[in-house]
Amino acid sequence: MKTRILGFAALLAVLAATVNGLFVVPADLNQGDAQRIMYPHVASAWLAYLSFGVTAMAGIGYLVRRDLRLDAIALAGAEVGVIFTAFAIWGGMMWGRPVWGVFWQWEDPRLTTTALLLALYAGYLLFRRLTDDPHRRAARAAVVGLIAAIDIPIVHFSVIWWRGLHQGPTIGDPGKILNPSAPPLFVLALMSMLAAFTLVWGYLMIRRYQLARTEWQIEEHGRLGRISVARRSFSTESVSEEAAP
Amino acid sequence: MSALWFVIAGYGVILGGLAAYAITLVRRLAHAREVSLRIRGEAEPAASSADLGE
Repeated sequence: MKTRILGFAALLAVLAATVNGLFVVPADLNQGDAQRIMYPHVASAWLAYLSFGVTAMAGIGYLVRRDLRLDAIALAGAEVGVIFTAFAIWGGMMWGRPVWGVFWQWEDPRLTTTALLLALYAGYLLFRRLTDDPHRRAARAAVVGLIAAIDIPIVHFSVIWWRGLHQGPTIGDPGKILNPSAPPLFVLALMSMLAAFTLVWGYLMIRRYQLARTEWQIEEHGRLGRISVARRSFSTESVSEEAAP
Repeated sequence: MSALWFVIAGYGVILGGLAAYAITLVRRLAHAREVSLRIRGEAEPAASSADLGE
């Protein structure tokens, strides 16, 4: 019930932030309407970082405590993170074409490292399918998740470390938090979209976690069923061998 | 093509995609819970018959 309320609140918040971003906040003087894509694009990118950060932390937690609930959290983070990374890339492309003149440029470090991030976590999700043993899967996935997490700071700082098409941080830079280079109305629109998307993120994370736990219970039951059938057939064979003259 | 179309495409895919993913998750979860309940329902009579030595 609480999750449903969260889902409803997230829906309302996204609608309000979208109306604000599309119709209330004025268009940017230089970029025009294209700048409006920044709100869902930046929010998606931040939540992708958060999701993969959760996957890495839950992976460490699993390696320490061997609790499968932490593996379910790691899985939820990776899947939801892949979704948000794909949307961040899509939003960036839709902004890049009218402003830069190109959808994509492989020479840009931010774009390339973000594409790598998407590939790494898509790989993480595929990697999880390689084994049926839940503990072995969780341990291996935790290691892969930690290795993939190395790319998160590289993506974030790529605009500072290297030169490319992508602009530097507008408010993400610690020096600009209290004095952002964007007008306050734009910052407010971005923050409201970020808050709305964070509610959506929370809802999706909870639902994906619940799904992972339920699927694990089904898997566990299937495994126990196979063991019981194997035992039964083994005992039947032993009885028939003993009964044979 | 004006920037407006890119804005519509940007918002449309992101918001539509989020909605589609949320609906898919809810449906997958409902299905998984149904399967889990069915399995438990089947497992309980089997366990009780095993207790009776059947």
